[in-house]
Amino acid sequence: MNCSELRDHYELYALGLAEEPERDEIRAHLDRGCEVCMSEMRRARELLTLVGGSAVPAAPSRKLRRRILASVGVDQRGFGWTPLFAGLSALLLAAALYFAGREGDYSRQVETLTARSRAQIIELTRLNEAFALMNGADTTVTTFGEKKPVPKGKLFYNPSKGALLIASNLPQAPAGKAYELWLIPKTKGAPPIRDGMFQSDSGGTAMRLIPGPIDANTTAAIAVTMEVDAGVDAPTSPILIFAPLAPALQ
Amino acid sequence: MRIAREKFRMFLLPILLAFRSTEADAALVVRLQRREPQALAELYDRYGRVAYSLILRVVRDAGIAEDLVQETFLRVWNRVQGFDAQKGAVGPWLLAVARNRAIDYIRSAGCRDRNTVEFEESDHPSLYTEMESGILASDKARVLKAALEKLLPHQRQVIELAYFEGLSQTEMAARMGQPLGTVKTWVRAALKTLRDELGAQAVSV
Repeated sequence: MNCSELRDHYELYALGLAEEPERDEIRAHLDRGCEVCMSEMRRARELLTLVGGSAVPAAPSRKLRRRILASVGVDQRGFGWTPLFAGLSALLLAAALYFAGREGDYSRQVETLTARSRAQIIELTRLNEAFALMNGADTTVTTFGEKKPVPKGKLFYNPSKGALLIASNLPQAPAGKAYELWLIPKTKGAPPIRDGMFQSDSGGTAMRLIPGPIDANTTAAIAVTMEVDAGVDAPTSPILIFAPLAPALQ
Repeated sequence: MRIAREKFRMFLLPILLAFRSTEADAALVVRLQRREPQALAELYDRYGRVAYSLILRVVRDAGIAEDLVQETFLRVWNRVQGFDAQKGAVGPWLLAVARNRAIDYIRSAGCRDRNTVEFEESDHPSLYTEMESGILASDKARVLKAALEKLLPHQRQVIELAYFEGLSQTEMAARMGQPLGTVKTWVRAALKTLRDELGAQAVSV
């Protein structure tokens, strides 16, 4: 057969559908390098390759590439992305936890320092007031408890600024108990006036400021008893400190 | 319709690249013949997806398709020494191997007789070259897509049965319940339509 007689059989041959005798004829032409048949077969194969392109696009799994390369002896284990992402994630998580913890620590430190500063400011103010009272021109000093083992101390009194009680050797207040300060009226039979609670330090020393004017004509003395830490309206325990406002009253 | 066209273009891209990358493929063949594993990796990166799509269309099982893709690349790797890089383009050759592997599989799985015609894979490497000559490959792809759509349903069916399932005309006749002569007529008519459409486009360009 000549090439023109094979014209309609090249695609059939490429598809595997050519029949005898055309199939053997085409094969023989190709084997001897027939230019016409080679050209026609290239065209037929191109056409069929394009037919193959009508398949629905699909993607194989990522493992396939590794499988294929491994089958020719290429080890692709190397440096995978999964461990990298896992490592980075763990690092970021650790960093987040670390900085969150540090931030929490810093916040707590700031709160502690702020509270301490506030307490120191309050204490300083109190001391300033105490020194102002002690240095006041009209301030008198009463010493109490000198003849008793406990407690003892001094009361600074200023009519316009108030009074400052400094005591030592105070008995340690048990849990739930505190010292309550009383203003003792001059009027006989009048009940003591409660003036707040305070605690001593671990050595039994306390400083209690009673700010504001105190009229010595109506108030005779300052007294201290140990009461429940919520305070009571009238003394329920023995008097620990009794300090007259003026030394003459002692 | 638009999505289908985009999918068609996406899938054809590797084929178009295959047509246009003959020079790069020739260098790749030389490296494959030197047994450079990285060359096989590059070959897979170029043609792995299109080979998989083609095989999956034939066998319709993802796991089997991957096995056959692996066989395809190993076959190319093992037979590349006999491939003339100056005459043949490795991409179309690989796709022919892929199609043959897939059709061989469904034949053996379905206990069908092997087609008496074994498709040449490397006997004539020059059959896989110069595919980029003439009109632009993208135009060809578009033309063939249009041509496939022009086919009558039974004409398109016989082409797909022959290409994707490797059925002989006798098998197609049995499958479709049609006389053998009718199937042969449909096959020839369909191929002529496709050939004429591509030929007409080539002439117009």
